[in-house]
Amino acid sequence: MQQALELEGLTKVFGDQRAVDDLSLSVPAGSFFGVLGPNGAGKTTSLSMAVGLLRPDGGTARIFGADVWREPTKAKALVGVLPDGLGMPERLTGQEVLTYLGLLRGLPEDEVKRRTTELLEVLELDHEDDKQVIGYSTGMRKKLGLAIALLHAPRLLVLDEPFEAVDPVSAATIRTILHRFIAGGGSVVMSSHVMALVEQLCDRVAVVADGKVVAAGTVSEVQAGGSLEDAFVSLVGASTRGAEGLTWLSH
Amino acid sequence: MALALTYGTSHTLVRMRLASLRHALKDSFRLTWIVTGGLVGLVLAGGTIWVAAKGDHDVLVVVLGVWMLGWVVGPLFAGGGDETLKPEYFTMLPLPPRTLSTGLLVAALAGVAPIISLIALLSLVISGGTVAAALVAVPALLLQLFCFILASRLAVAVYGVLLQVRAGAVIAALVNAFILAFTAQGWALIVAFVSTDVQGTMAKAARIAPSGWGFDAVQAAGRGDWLQVIGLLLALAVLAGAMLFAWSALLVRRTTASHANSKPRRLLTAKTPGGAAAAKEIRSWTRDLLYGHKAIFAIAYGLFFCMMPLAIGLKSMLPWAGPAAVVMAGSMSSNLYGADGTAFWTTLMTPGSARPDVRARQRAFLLVFGPSTLMITLLLTWWSGYHSAWPLVLSALPALLGGAAGLIVACSVYSAVPTTDAHKRSGNPLNSGENEGETMGLVYVMLVLVATTCAPALLVALNAGWWGVPVGLLSGVLCWWYFGRVAARRLDKRGPELLTLLRHGRSPAEQAKKTAGFDALPKWRRTLAGFCLGFGAIPLFPQAVVPAIFKLTGNHDTKSWFLALYQTGPWQWVVIVLMAALGLSMYAFGGLTYYRAKKRAPGGSVAAVAS
Repeated sequence: MQQALELEGLTKVFGDQRAVDDLSLSVPAGSFFGVLGPNGAGKTTSLSMAVGLLRPDGGTARIFGADVWREPTKAKALVGVLPDGLGMPERLTGQEVLTYLGLLRGLPEDEVKRRTTELLEVLELDHEDDKQVIGYSTGMRKKLGLAIALLHAPRLLVLDEPFEAVDPVSAATIRTILHRFIAGGGSVVMSSHVMALVEQLCDRVAVVADGKVVAAGTVSEVQAGGSLEDAFVSLVGASTRGAEGLTWLSH
Repeated sequence: MALALTYGTSHTLVRMRLASLRHALKDSFRLTWIVTGGLVGLVLAGGTIWVAAKGDHDVLVVVLGVWMLGWVVGPLFAGGGDETLKPEYFTMLPLPPRTLSTGLLVAALAGVAPIISLIALLSLVISGGTVAAALVAVPALLLQLFCFILASRLAVAVYGVLLQVRAGAVIAALVNAFILAFTAQGWALIVAFVSTDVQGTMAKAARIAPSGWGFDAVQAAGRGDWLQVIGLLLALAVLAGAMLFAWSALLVRRTTASHANSKPRRLLTAKTPGGAAAAKEIRSWTRDLLYGHKAIFAIAYGLFFCMMPLAIGLKSMLPWAGPAAVVMAGSMSSNLYGADGTAFWTTLMTPGSARPDVRARQRAFLLVFGPSTLMITLLLTWWSGYHSAWPLVLSALPALLGGAAGLIVACSVYSAVPTTDAHKRSGNPLNSGENEGETMGLVYVMLVLVATTCAPALLVALNAGWWGVPVGLLSGVLCWWYFGRVAARRLDKRGPELLTLLRHGRSPAEQAKKTAGFDALPKWRRTLAGFCLGFGAIPLFPQAVVPAIFKLTGNHDTKSWFLALYQTGPWQWVVIVLMAALGLSMYAFGGLTYYRAKKRAPGGSVAAVAS
């Protein structure tokens, strides 16, 4: 089976901290893949290295066989990315951002126009036509980011925390879009720390902790009979503190 | 209760500030800036005390006025003043606004600049003469210091409000440009007023201005006029109170008001990748107030710089307003990628968009500054009546435009300075991050680099007249093409590294690695290298390049502080060459010191350190 995304031995060191430590992962084509992990586990760093936003200190990343760091142009044409917390061209409107990025990707003008209009409409950003991105809320920024990722009809989507700060109605819309994308033959890699969402959406998951993959497989394999949350907590090895102490909180 | 709260808040804020100052001192790059600034300040403070000791009261009161002016306009050039403790950090604390602003004011006292101003204000004690006057000087100088700092904070707050609307940004740009041009060319205005007893008038004005009230009180005490002493001290206290009140009100506005957006409406007409990138860039210039501010500032600076000598009937600088504006514009646009921040990921993830992006930035720069500076050059050269200047300026202008268009993208790519992302910025539009020192350094280096790009054209024009014009055009096109290509290639190859830098800044570990070799040098060499890079411009530009231009354009009536012009005959050229050599060797020494240090350091980069 063809792999949509293949990471091999990815490593990134910041100072004396190994943020990502020899991380390997493969995402089969057509799968909806969830990357789970506690804060600071290295999810964002790994995904950045996987798509070409951050140069790894070691290891390789391939998107449908194209090496992200050797043939970046080929790889980047195949992937759509939604990074977490990065800036946008702040002084443009959403429509302008999509139009220009589409043209920069070399899409024909009328096609760009059609896709832009449709994306803005589906993501309910069209009534904010006159607003510059700097005035967008966090949720709107996420939705625009998703539109940017989808614009060139990639075969793989890599989404970093796509549902964070998104309201329930928009979240439902995004879920529908992602399901359609999968149904149409696409593959999705998504990081999250919302277990219920991953359980509901993904067919495969990987749990990352301390820059390493501690478990990977289909959701039921990783769950091992219990809930995903229980599996996660036992894998990450964190104790569920919070019950004891903090007596001063009681009134 | 309120007092206790204010005291507690102030105490904590002072501790926060001192803690971040301690961290700043550990970072050798920032340490250099703090030490250099501190030394310069100490020299100026010493000078103020010396003036007081000499008993020259007219000069002293004017100097005190300059100190206050420094506090008011300084923040404009240092990225919005000291913002170690941003008011936004404390919005969610249940503190009354005035408690917070008092606390921030007290915290503002815990820094290098206030201590230096305090030393300068000790001149009040010396100027008193009698014991009683010296005693009055103590509360007077403390109140005066409070007024200085409050005026500075209030000014920053007012600029902040102004910069949020278009008209305000324009006004602020004009004022800034005037002030900066005045520091270089103000002598002309001063000379013009000499006949009307400027010194007396200025001293009189400076006594009336709030900066002179403390001094007046001390003088009154010396005369035994106690009513006036009390009146003046009270006035200072009331002024401080009023400024504190106004500043608190503006702080509330800053932390609660939304940043209004104008509604853009413009047709989307781009059809190609290149057109799309260009349209994207042009919109930044027309919509982002900071970009607009920069454009107006640069053009106004060129105009003021060359028109101020008109006050003494000197027209020979008029033709150079356009070129001066281009040089200023180039140096102000040297951090394009840094200014756009992490939005760069959209370019990085779009294959093949690096080249159109770089070219678009160049195109936007040329579109904003090309036609405007050409018009200025044509009109002012015609007005000046210096026909000999035509081939010179028309050779220099295209060379500079092309040179600047090339250098800005190369500099923006090779030595980007990370700033805070636009959507995460605080309410202070002047403050774009925590790297003012680095940004300012970059501006200075770029002033020199951009100016040098017209050298070949100017040399040819001086020797062969109109032949300079094609040379200027050719060198401009070459610079534009070559540096643009270099920048685009670098983006393609090292884009991810640029994004990492813009995203996370330089980590302390990287910073340490970068400066490791440098730190190994003896301290005097480090200080000397910093000094040379900081002040090399003085012998090179005002003492060599400007008098050379004066001589070449046949201006013989202005001497000002241009050492060379006080000599006779060929000695003038000797001094110019010596000064140029001194400036260049200062740069060479500083640059070499950094370069050698870098070679010893594992995997550092010179570009970032040299700025």
